[in-house]
Amino acid sequence: MRNLIRSEFKKIFFLKSSRIYILTLIVLSLVLGLIFSLTTNVTQGKAITDLSSMDVLSANMLGVDLANIMLIIFTAISISKEFSTKLINVSLVITPNRKKFFLGKIITFFLLSTAISIIVVILAYLASQLILTVNDMPRVTLQDLAVRQFILGVMTMPIFYAIITVAAVFLFNSGAGAITFSLGVMALPALIKMFSNSIQRTLLPVFPQSAIHSLAGVVKKGSGESLGTIASMCLLLAWIIMTSLAANAKFQKQDI
Amino acid sequence: MIEIKNLTKKFRDKIAVDNLSLIVRPGVVTGFLGPNGAGKSTTLKMIIGLINPTQGEVKIDGKNYKDLIRPISKIGALIDGDAVNPKFTAKQHLELIATASGISIGRVEEMLKMVGLDKVKNKQIGEFSLGMKQRLGIATALLGDPKTVILDEPFNGLDVDGIHWLRGLTKELAEQGKSVLVSSHLMSEIQAIAERIVVLAQGKLIADMTMEEMTNKSLSTYMKVNSENNRKFKSLLEKEGALIQSMNDEELHVHKLDMKQIGIIARNNNLAIYELTKIQPSLEELFIELTEGKADYVSNVESKERKGDRQ
Ligand SMILES: Nc1ncnc2c1ncn2[C@@H]1O[C@H](COP(=O)(O)OP(=O)(O)O)[C@@H](O)[C@H]1O
Ligand SMILES: [Mg+2]
Repeated sequence: MRNLIRSEFKKIFFLKSSRIYILTLIVLSLVLGLIFSLTTNVTQGKAITDLSSMDVLSANMLGVDLANIMLIIFTAISISKEFSTKLINVSLVITPNRKKFFLGKIITFFLLSTAISIIVVILAYLASQLILTVNDMPRVTLQDLAVRQFILGVMTMPIFYAIITVAAVFLFNSGAGAITFSLGVMALPALIKMFSNSIQRTLLPVFPQSAIHSLAGVVKKGSGESLGTIASMCLLLAWIIMTSLAANAKFQKQDI
Repeated sequence: MIEIKNLTKKFRDKIAVDNLSLIVRPGVVTGFLGPNGAGKSTTLKMIIGLINPTQGEVKIDGKNYKDLIRPISKIGALIDGDAVNPKFTAKQHLELIATASGISIGRVEEMLKMVGLDKVKNKQIGEFSLGMKQRLGIATALLGDPKTVILDEPFNGLDVDGIHWLRGLTKELAEQGKSVLVSSHLMSEIQAIAERIVVLAQGKLIADMTMEEMTNKSLSTYMKVNSENNRKFKSLLEKEGALIQSMNDEELHVHKLDMKQIGIIARNNNLAIYELTKIQPSLEELFIELTEGKADYVSNVESKERKGDRQ
């Protein structure tokens, strides 16, 4: 398995386009976070100095959403390319055990998304500290439980979506299908929020967003999204396990 | 050793491979022949687990390919030279495979030299000709020094030099004791290298025999005979069991009797023979004849076993 994952990483980083894309993703998410935190008078109608330090941090963390979307696209395209170029033929001759191959992909993109997520979140954190300092505002500190929880919660997002995107590529046998699936799962809660409270209460807790928001501690108590920590983690795991099982079952039967 | 047992593959309503049984033995180049669409690629893909059989099974040294510990050391396969990401360089492509299977980078360099790609190893595969891609595919197949080498239409896109090189290579591999299974839709590509021929048509096994046996057994082999009285000679030969297919004043085409028998009949009847020639179709003609479904050439299991022992 170690060799397989090493090979998967080479598959990603041998390509100049991948290296550039990932670098762009990191830079853009930082820039977007900065833009959000510096334009609050336009976006939120408040001058930055009127905001709490936590608000500045979360404005910066909005860049992570962009990183998340870009990572979903990257994951879907790089795996579906392997199918469309038929390189998968060669890959599966070397690793004919498809469960192992699939797991290798999951682990590879778990590690990649974890690394990217950590980098992006740290950069957003540092950027917000810089902005707070420049504006003579109190800096946020990791000693603050709420800050720690927020950062860790945000960090889980790109990792979670990358993993279900891997599964979705195998499940739908298509990069576009996987992107649609993952973005759909991400965006549906926003749509659901336009419906009545009772609908929200039944549907929202099923979506991973409620778990991620709950983990990050950004949910208002009593809203449809509110979940406990254990429940949140179970929900995310359930999504990962269900999509992976379905994807693996499909992949096992597939003729290449 | 690869054992294929009652292998069948149905794609929706199309039967691509139909109840195929055969054994691929070490130390021999086996030609896997059949017209386009015969089911060759489907069979080869089922051997290495890319396609799941509808029925039947393939065992490699008694195991399924998917259950082998180090599959790359058992079977190396070129299925499609185009099955590459064109953005990788030749070296990167091989390095990915080497890394995944714990093979040293030194071996990658060695393979690149062997297939004659060391000068272009840092070029993107997208810039390669089909022949160069086939060479890369062959390097891929041989990377793990496998006991069995499967090459699906490896001659496609190779130039004259390449064809010559590949013929030498397949023979060399067989001499090293490996099983070599080479598919082609052209007999001419295979006849110079294969000791044994397996012919597939419409998913069915049509022939499985040595090259020599195949040539001899052809229905199209006949004796061209011309004598001082062809009309009389014809009836004499027919009395001895000959089948005479075409006759004009100049020549008789005699089936089912050999030269010696014909000569003796002529002498016993005091007939002077002007011409007695054995006419053999080219293997290409024979192959076409076979795949048109004119003949059933599956030799029985016992004779196959004997052949196996000889080899
Ligand atoms: N994935 C597939 N889906 C449906 N039909 C297929 C598929 N692959 C092959 N076939 C059909 O199966 C038959 C055998 O194909 P193939 O094994 O590629 O033949 P060959 O390699 O001898 O040319 C052909 O009629 C082909 O159209
Ligand atoms: Mg074919």
